[in-house]
Amino acid sequence: MERTPEIFDKIEGYLSHTLPEEEIIAFEKELAANPELHEEVEKHRALHKTLSDQDTLDFKEKLMQISTTIKEEQDTTSTSISAPYWKIAASIAILLGVGMLLWYTYINSFNNTQDLYGAYYEPFPVEDAMRGNTNNEEMQNIVKNYAKGAYDSVAVMLEKQPNLDNQLRLYLGNSYLNINQEEKAVSSFKDINSNGKYYEVAKWYLSLTYLKLNTPKKSIPLLKEIITYNGAYKDKATKLLKALEKNR
Amino acid sequence: MNTTEDHKILEGIVTGNEVVITTFYRKNLPYIRQYVLQNSGNEEDAEDVFQDALILVYQKLKTDSLELHSSLRTYFYGICKNMWRNRLRKNKKMIITEKLPEDAEIITPTVIQDIEYKEREHVYRRHFLKLSDTCREVLSLLFQGNSMKDIAHITGYSEGYTRKKKFECKRYLIEMIEKDHAYQELQLNPEKEL
Repeated sequence: MERTPEIFDKIEGYLSHTLPEEEIIAFEKELAANPELHEEVEKHRALHKTLSDQDTLDFKEKLMQISTTIKEEQDTTSTSISAPYWKIAASIAILLGVGMLLWYTYINSFNNTQDLYGAYYEPFPVEDAMRGNTNNEEMQNIVKNYAKGAYDSVAVMLEKQPNLDNQLRLYLGNSYLNINQEEKAVSSFKDINSNGKYYEVAKWYLSLTYLKLNTPKKSIPLLKEIITYNGAYKDKATKLLKALEKNR
Repeated sequence: MNTTEDHKILEGIVTGNEVVITTFYRKNLPYIRQYVLQNSGNEEDAEDVFQDALILVYQKLKTDSLELHSSLRTYFYGICKNMWRNRLRKNKKMIITEKLPEDAEIITPTVIQDIEYKEREHVYRRHFLKLSDTCREVLSLLFQGNSMKDIAHITGYSEGYTRKKKFECKRYLIEMIEKDHAYQELQLNPEKEL
């Protein structure tokens, strides 16, 4: 059965009892004669019933956030244990007994910038136009993988594409950010055309990438540019800039 | 058997206390992960089972229908294991290392029925939460019974755009659900509706 806005409206009217009496009778007749329509109505009914329970949805979302936080903590612990240059630097500081204060300051600033990155970074969302309007199977696959967070697959697939448009570069940059390939993320965001509608978005993600790389000095001019641009990211950029300047 | 400690955890779950839930999560996920990994599952399966079982407990608490005849931990593990066995059965990958369910007395037939009945809901929620913010906003308002006019008023979108968005988002959501293997298996092995 082809899904159209009209059928959806009719089903929703039927389920919420807002159809006029005569339309209900006609619709029920159709339902009795058309098993496919009947099945579709039941799908909508089940969706409405489950997803109207906002408390449970909020609870599920909370669990997902908790899971992410726990995973991030584990990742941070394992990275700090396995990063050899940290170990070396820490050992030298301990052995020589000098530079302790400097080291402490560095770590502190590192943690602060990482915290800020964590607080401000959200993957660039899949745009609705992208979900619905692409018929290309490979592209649909990329969008699907990106939406479910399979960033490594997205990066592999997009790297194979000969010509990326600005939107896809954003997806690629975000994927790199999520698989810890920040330098590649920098290039992807820098490649985005400064005239198009993604100019501001690209600057925002580039500034966050620099933050992740613990080079907040590079983020600051970008944030100032975003503020001057006066678009959708202005508020976020203003807040982040304030927080960064407080940390300096 | 229902200790003060369990009471505190249950209260934390029903009130959405992040500290309590995080502690519970940290303490108990490793056991469930080990069980699922030993029985043909992966990390993601383990996390899904863990979260979905916790949702079941949450919903039972909300409706005052939680009957604990053991410690919370034993009960919760019982739910997780039954849920995972159920999913494996549906998936025809039933290779369970345990010979006999050790939780036959803890998890009553009613709870087993509940686990079955809720399976489809978990799939719906999983996909809904993956939608864009705009889709979630429009659809949430729709599911709560608002008209297109009300939704347009609340969101500030035009009525025409709201209707278009509502259709696109809902169609996408249904398609994603239909493509989900777990949903397809539920269709092939329908649950008994309660």
